[in-house]
Amino acid sequence: MRVVVVGAGEVGFHLAQRLSEEHQDVVVIEADPAQADHAAQQLDVQTVVGNGASLSALEQADVPSAAMLLAVTSRDEVNLIACLAAKRLGVPYTVARISNPDYYQDDAVLSREQLGVDLMVNPELECARETVALLQNAAFTEVADFADGRVKLVGLKVRDGAPVAGKTIRELRAAFDGGYHYVTAAIVRGGVTTIPKPESTIEAGDRIYLLAPSSEIDDVPPLAGYDRFTLERAMVAGGSAEGFHIAKALGELGVECTVLDRDRRRCVELAERLPKALVLHADATDLELLEMEGVSGADGFVSATGNDETNLLSSLLAKEAGAKKVLSLVHTFQYLKLVPAVGVDASISPRMSTVNAILRRVRRGRVMTVATLSGIEAEAIEFEVSHQSRIAGQALRDVEFPKEGVVGTILRGDEIILPRGEDVLKPGDDVIVFALPDAIPAVEALFD
Amino acid sequence: MSLSKVANVAGLLQIFVALAMFATGLVAIGFGDGDAVALFQSGVITFLAGWATYMATRFDEEVTAREGFAIVTMAWTTTALFGCLPYLLSGVLDSPVAAFFESMSGFTTTGATVFADIESLPRGILLWRSLTHWIGGMGIIVLVIAVLPYLGVGGMQLFRAEVPGPTPERLRPRIAQTAKLLWMVYFGLTAVVALLYALGGLGVYDALNHAFSTIATGGFSTRNSSMAEMSPYIQWVTIVFMYLAGVNYSLHFRAATNRLAYVRDAEWRFYTAILLGSAALIVTLNALSGDVGMEETIRHGLFQVVAITTTTGYVTSDYEAWVPGARMVLFALFFVGGMAGSTSGGVKTLRVMLLIKQTANELRRHLHPRAVFVTRIGHRPMKDEVVTRVVGFVVLYLILCLSGAIALSFVGIDPYTAITGSISSVGNIGPAFADLGPTDNFGWMPSPALGVLTFLMLVGRLEIYTVLLLLHPELWKRRSAFH
Repeated sequence: MRVVVVGAGEVGFHLAQRLSEEHQDVVVIEADPAQADHAAQQLDVQTVVGNGASLSALEQADVPSAAMLLAVTSRDEVNLIACLAAKRLGVPYTVARISNPDYYQDDAVLSREQLGVDLMVNPELECARETVALLQNAAFTEVADFADGRVKLVGLKVRDGAPVAGKTIRELRAAFDGGYHYVTAAIVRGGVTTIPKPESTIEAGDRIYLLAPSSEIDDVPPLAGYDRFTLERAMVAGGSAEGFHIAKALGELGVECTVLDRDRRRCVELAERLPKALVLHADATDLELLEMEGVSGADGFVSATGNDETNLLSSLLAKEAGAKKVLSLVHTFQYLKLVPAVGVDASISPRMSTVNAILRRVRRGRVMTVATLSGIEAEAIEFEVSHQSRIAGQALRDVEFPKEGVVGTILRGDEIILPRGEDVLKPGDDVIVFALPDAIPAVEALFD
Repeated sequence: MSLSKVANVAGLLQIFVALAMFATGLVAIGFGDGDAVALFQSGVITFLAGWATYMATRFDEEVTAREGFAIVTMAWTTTALFGCLPYLLSGVLDSPVAAFFESMSGFTTTGATVFADIESLPRGILLWRSLTHWIGGMGIIVLVIAVLPYLGVGGMQLFRAEVPGPTPERLRPRIAQTAKLLWMVYFGLTAVVALLYALGGLGVYDALNHAFSTIATGGFSTRNSSMAEMSPYIQWVTIVFMYLAGVNYSLHFRAATNRLAYVRDAEWRFYTAILLGSAALIVTLNALSGDVGMEETIRHGLFQVVAITTTTGYVTSDYEAWVPGARMVLFALFFVGGMAGSTSGGVKTLRVMLLIKQTANELRRHLHPRAVFVTRIGHRPMKDEVVTRVVGFVVLYLILCLSGAIALSFVGIDPYTAITGSISSVGNIGPAFADLGPTDNFGWMPSPALGVLTFLMLVGRLEIYTVLLLLHPELWKRRSAFH
């Protein structure tokens, strides 16, 4: 499949990288020669230097033969024009990265069809969604939605004395006696990711990844040794676009929310747009103020300034002061690895959430949804079973499934099935598979 | 500051005033009460003075802010000045001060009167008195803007200086179109209430007089007892239309195309809640102590609450005979006023709302010293400068009421009368308490006291800043910021 990516900023670069790794033919259009050069050297992609909204650049990239165009520059208008032009040139599927709500709201002047955009993705909103999902449950370090939110993939650390600690997967399955609510998809121990076998044990200190129906996700944290938790009071340090959307989403959930920003004019703007939030004119790292405003009793704390160092420092201060769940936005990909080391509960990369949000919705055909997790190598992929699929019609225990992959969940109509060996996949089923990168081609082959 | 411009507008306005006098004169001929001559004489004098001034001076379209204040203040003062001629020339009043008071009370829609026996006055004079209410209600400058293209872009400065409320709203891109729409709504409401009065058996003459007075939220009546002896039907109609006159006229206009416009307006909800809430309180207090029928208690309570809050000042019942609690609630309403953009006086409900919300925010600021609060009306955030100006306005308003009371007490008025009379005049209400209660009139007051009240009415009608800025020394300095 030929895919054109307009813009080789961080979002465009990572999109191109992931698509190229999945054996798509990627062409990147980028106005800045240095950025284009960077992409050309690092990735197996073709680059075109030029304005993504100009006909010459689009023709040079041979857009008419592309199956998909992803316009992800930081400028909404360029993205819209690129999509509009691509649609006119016959591209079947277009995606635009759009930050300004005026363009994507239901009452926008031009509808999505008129603009020639099939999918609009708002980076700040995606980031806020992910952050709020993480905040709502103290235990989770990662949350990804599958099947329109009916199934969730969560990552969490097993605490000392947790009910699951020291038990094998087989024992756990037996303990729940068919009524179990989750599938263990991966275990990370000492930085090594393994896909569990029935005889694998879960130890305290492991990070585990589970797939579970969204309706039962609240039962998971107690198993790993966490108390039940409700998010009642949250603080958002930094009134960036992401911070604003986080505070807004929290307000809509009825969470009492305090927002800090060090720019007074931004504070006024935030106060105008967030009637329910308390807006403070203060620095995200002002510990005295944070304590005065009750950071120690806060259920959730998110540092969301535009500066990674400030964010990490601010989260550490909040964690130290006693905030229950502390998240930090981290823009620079290299810093993401630091997060577990510095002691912050979880991190969100705004750009990564955009990349994921786009990939999750654009992979079509067999593959529908993908979640790439920041801490580990493995990917969760949603496949559709077709009549031609080799895996169809066989009991799972008879399929030679790659050892480094696991069938996590079967979705059959409205039914969510946590699979056992005797289950048989039928055409039309959607299947969520969790696999290490090496195993992915073999898994894909099963669904062909 | 160009005095030529100021005089030019004032002159032009007098031509309008003269036309109104001629019209009233024609009606007066029909009544044959002998006052037609005085009205025509007044008309001629006013016309000549206005025409001569208008021809001798020049107006160009540029109006600076300070010229705007001067023009509006001068226009109102001269209009009230010429407007008192019919009272003097017909001989119903001898004192020029009393005549000026009566005229100012008319144009500012206060409704305070120096006449003890209104029913003995010639009918032409009474019609003129009601007409001054009607002309002043929507604003004389707004009238000129609506009728003549003459003020041009300068009109906006004048519009701002005259229209009540912190931020006048434009219904149409052009200010002249906006003014026209406002007058159309005003005219329409007047016609409807006049018709309803006439259907209630009030007679065409009384119906018209009271229609002018009700819609302008004035308070002049053609009866000595104000509305006390009118039928319950007339009183109920009056309650409804005083209430409507206290609503923002732009809102009326918007509601014509969108039925939900009222309910969606936060100030309207506040205004309505205050009226119904205080009426319920007063009716309950009066019902517990009195032995009159329930309908009557409700009607009188509601009537007085609406009459005072909208600053109309009609009277159906001697509220000074009420129980202390009910009297006090009514006194509190002397400060409130109707909605911004209505014909009423007072502080205006929008400002009261803003002040309450701002005060609540100040309290919260003690808990969160670094918090940034935004004061909202409904969903609409208000700019800090607007809020600050409103706080300044209310403080100034109270200072003005107090200063007026002090001035009155210096000329020998009893403090209780002085303070309530001062508040009533600044709010353009009319009746007050004690010696200026609902059954009294202002005829007994010495000339200096009438002079003080006349000034307070003008300052109150033009919402303080317009007049007081003219008295500020900095405005007269050459290098003033407004120059």
